[in-house]
Amino acid sequence: MKKSFLVISSLIVFALALAGCATTADLEKVRAQEREINAKADQALQASQDANANALKAAETAARAESALKAAEERAAAAEERANKAEAAFEKSMRK
Amino acid sequence: MHRIIDLAIPLHRLRLLVVPFIFILTLHGCAGIRSVEVIPPPLPTRPAETIKQNEFFIGKEDDAIGRPAVIRLEKGDTLPDIARHFSLGIHEISLANPGVDIWVPEAGTRIMLPLHFILPDAPRKGIVINLAAMRLFYFKENKKSLTVSTYPVGIGTIERPTPIGQAYVKRKVFRPTWYVPASIAERHRAKGDPLPSKVPPGPLNPLGEYALYLSRSSYLIHGTNKPSSIGLKATNGCIRLYPEDIRELYEKTPVNTPVHIISQPYLIGQINGVVYLEVHAPVEEQRVADLRKLFARLKNIEKKTKRKIDWGQVDKTLAEVRGIPVPILELREKIEKGNENIVEVRHPGKLYGSPEIPQLSVEAWYILAAEHRDATDAARMAAIISHQGPPIPARVLAKRDRYRVIAGPFGDMQTAEDTARRLKIDLEVDGILIEPGNNR
Repeated sequence: MKKSFLVISSLIVFALALAGCATTADLEKVRAQEREINAKADQALQASQDANANALKAAETAARAESALKAAEERAAAAEERANKAEAAFEKSMRK
Repeated sequence: MHRIIDLAIPLHRLRLLVVPFIFILTLHGCAGIRSVEVIPPPLPTRPAETIKQNEFFIGKEDDAIGRPAVIRLEKGDTLPDIARHFSLGIHEISLANPGVDIWVPEAGTRIMLPLHFILPDAPRKGIVINLAAMRLFYFKENKKSLTVSTYPVGIGTIERPTPIGQAYVKRKVFRPTWYVPASIAERHRAKGDPLPSKVPPGPLNPLGEYALYLSRSSYLIHGTNKPSSIGLKATNGCIRLYPEDIRELYEKTPVNTPVHIISQPYLIGQINGVVYLEVHAPVEEQRVADLRKLFARLKNIEKKTKRKIDWGQVDKTLAEVRGIPVPILELREKIEKGNENIVEVRHPGKLYGSPEIPQLSVEAWYILAAEHRDATDAARMAAIISHQGPPIPARVLAKRDRYRVIAGPFGDMQTAEDTARRLKIDLEVDGILIEPGNNR
């Protein structure tokens, strides 16, 4: 009887020990997944920040280009006006 | 190491794919460009040395004379100089080359010389002047053949237009005296430039060296002391020609020659089975009537020839008003053949009649006509001054970031002062006299 009790107890302790080992492995697996997700989150965050910075840069460049284009258009219009004025004066000067 | 080995094969395959891909893209690009251009520029050929520009034989069935040409501009060329060299008016050359700066065109630009003319719908006898095209035609029969000489002209202003109608050459005068009309005398008085009652022959005489007096009182066909005005509406109703052209016309034209003055903005001509349309700016009051006539004629041609006219091209030609004959038949092959007639003319180097700019001399008088920040503005101003009549030499001198327009040299103070006064009256330029020795 005493021997049987000992055997049963040993089996229970062994089974419990096995169950304990499985829990630790799972925990390690979860931690690894967390690390991986965090790393991915860091990457996504960085990419998002980069994208925002690029968008800002692109917007600034576009604004600068638009402003330069507007200035060029104004210069061209002014030059055309001066040319037209000169041409009108020339045509007038060609009369008798 | 692995990467290099791994990529080596795909790169080889990629090259095989990319080369045909680029080839296809290139073909596509060429097709795209072709479809956008209005008139395909002719392929570079050996340029011709000269081109016929004034005198042509015409058959009874011929509706057009000459052929279009192109020329590559050189540094310092102006459109008025090119126009005069090829006996074209400034109006004709600028219409044919929209967007090209008249006074400061870019060197290397290939421009169109519109030397292809549809004959106006008028009797082929004596002188015919088409005001809308600003062009004179002189028809002469020689036994069995008919020749036509054609010249660009300057005509009356909008306020004082050249009258339409028939007349004849009443008399011819070499070195005519100009009796100043009251209206011109009054205009000059108003701007502080009183004129004498008559101006003897010489450089100040606006009639130039030759004049054909018409039977219609006060109207003449004459030369000019302002050659750059040919192709402008700048006269008091007279017809002006380049000095070299009026000399030719004067010699050819006998007294009593009929003169037919018309205004035909829409000209139609058939050449080798292709119908061409040439459009000039119409007189506003006659626009609707002229358009009605044009459409009636075109429909009649369609009916007679049983060919379909490209009405889209007609609309485009009417909208563009370029003064050059445009094929309007829907025969693609024929239309392409039309463009083959364009000839490239070699630049002659020195253009006939272009202004002479004497060398600078510290002993001479000058006028500081203007100072510009922009080099093009300064070049334009110098060119306009150089093309006055009588001519005033002018050039641009760079000074730090400014460009000075300097007129001169003048031999004495009086000439410099008179020229400064002319610049003020004619071009509203406030010039500053530069004494000899101070023009550094």
